[in-house]
Amino acid sequence: MEKTITRHPSSYRDPSGFIFTVNHILYRQVNKVFAPHFDHFIRSGCYQRLADKKWLISHEEIRENMTGGPDWHTTLKPAPLHCITYPYEWSFDMLKDAALLTLQLVKESVAFGCILKDATPYNIQWHQGRLIFMDTLSFEQYSEEEPWIAYRQFCECFLGPLLLMHYKKMPLQPLLLAWPEGIPLPVIKSLLPGRSKFSLYTFLHIHLNTGISVKGNASPQKKIKFSRQKLLNLVNSLETLVKKLRLPPHQSTWSAYYEEACGRSNYLGEKKRIIREWVGGLNGFKTAADLGANDGAFSRILAENDIYTIAADFDPFCINNLYHFIRENGIRNIQPVIADLANPSPAIGVNNEERTSLISRLKVDLCLALALIHHLSIGKNIPFEMTADFLSRIGSKALIIEFIPKTDVKVQLMLSVKKDIYTSYTEDNFKKAFQSYFKIARQEPIGDSGRVLYFMILHEK
Amino acid sequence: MAELLYIDPGSSSFLVQAIIAAVLGIGFFFKNIWAYIKSIFVRTPKKTDDNQAH
Repeated sequence: MEKTITRHPSSYRDPSGFIFTVNHILYRQVNKVFAPHFDHFIRSGCYQRLADKKWLISHEEIRENMTGGPDWHTTLKPAPLHCITYPYEWSFDMLKDAALLTLQLVKESVAFGCILKDATPYNIQWHQGRLIFMDTLSFEQYSEEEPWIAYRQFCECFLGPLLLMHYKKMPLQPLLLAWPEGIPLPVIKSLLPGRSKFSLYTFLHIHLNTGISVKGNASPQKKIKFSRQKLLNLVNSLETLVKKLRLPPHQSTWSAYYEEACGRSNYLGEKKRIIREWVGGLNGFKTAADLGANDGAFSRILAENDIYTIAADFDPFCINNLYHFIRENGIRNIQPVIADLANPSPAIGVNNEERTSLISRLKVDLCLALALIHHLSIGKNIPFEMTADFLSRIGSKALIIEFIPKTDVKVQLMLSVKKDIYTSYTEDNFKKAFQSYFKIARQEPIGDSGRVLYFMILHEK
Repeated sequence: MAELLYIDPGSSSFLVQAIIAAVLGIGFFFKNIWAYIKSIFVRTPKKTDDNQAH
């Protein structure tokens, strides 16, 4: 079979190497120019230590020049990932843990004579129930006289966004989408409240940093000697500051939804029973996306059946709670993602190819859309046909979807504040629209709630 | 701000880091002295490893 080598569109910045795919398997080439740094990283034991701690993705070294390029030093085959997600799809505590992981990597690698040359959250991904560092070529040999090259990047990519969310007491993930290279320091400084200056570390790392950076650029750079102790002081102060940052508990959109839902004549218990029965009978389903996952109650049913589940919800607080649950219970096959299904993350960056769209990354066997259709159809005016098309592009085999009738108390609540222009919102129209993409295999009413669950199989394309 | 377009933002952080590290150095110096004085009078419990992000 002929090999098709595709260089990844996001792998262009660093001359140290690049990532590429061959027959859908991802590899990383290390270039000759980076050989001394990479060999030191391996021989010093730094790689092994970080991989053992599960802070850095493990790899298999393949001594074959797969690309045939003249710059080749070696080839790595990293452990595969399920679904790539980006920082604007992470909750506050996910970004916070990614920041702390970055700082821990700096401290740990310095002990082996290596240092992290990048501090971007795009080098961190979700792997087996935790965030893990991906970019093996970000570690170069450490010179004690040099300061931390990635310091400003850390402040703009991690510290700034976390501080803004901490002080404003609200999730601000869309800012990370607007500034994927990090929010510029002057912007962070101007958006932070004046009282943030009274926090010593915030003052130093943001306010003073911004002031000196702007002035300092005008004059030529003098050679400044640094030391290991100074570096550790800097990193420790960042760590202390990040650890203190919190996004206060908040009544999220879906907070207490389940408590209320439970009260409805055992609606939730009956729904769980049906889903358990349907999912338990599935064969060959390995991945799923639970869209509108809320606190992940149904993602857990899928996960218990050995189905790797991407739990997506537009509420950052729900996803944060789910992240805590996953972390505290060591669940390895649920991946939390913040996603607005009426506005999924777009493709951004160079050529609009660097960071891909959410739809192109969400490719699973089974799609779960429970108590979702009324939010899309009535909340966002999206016709059934468009929702059916959207869901058919995510689940490649089947869809479990719940229909909520117009008489439902939740739909009535939504219609109480807007004009009822939804004359086509009927179960018949719903079935007709979805049958263009799916075959209805099963349907079952959920108790006497009036809501109906459908199991649909995608038509072969 | 215009000059930011022509200079690698990483390089300007060298001066900043030197200044911040100096401030932190002074801070840690006094903190250590205070910790030493406190340790004479107060028996501190054994420190646990909190170096885990996950």
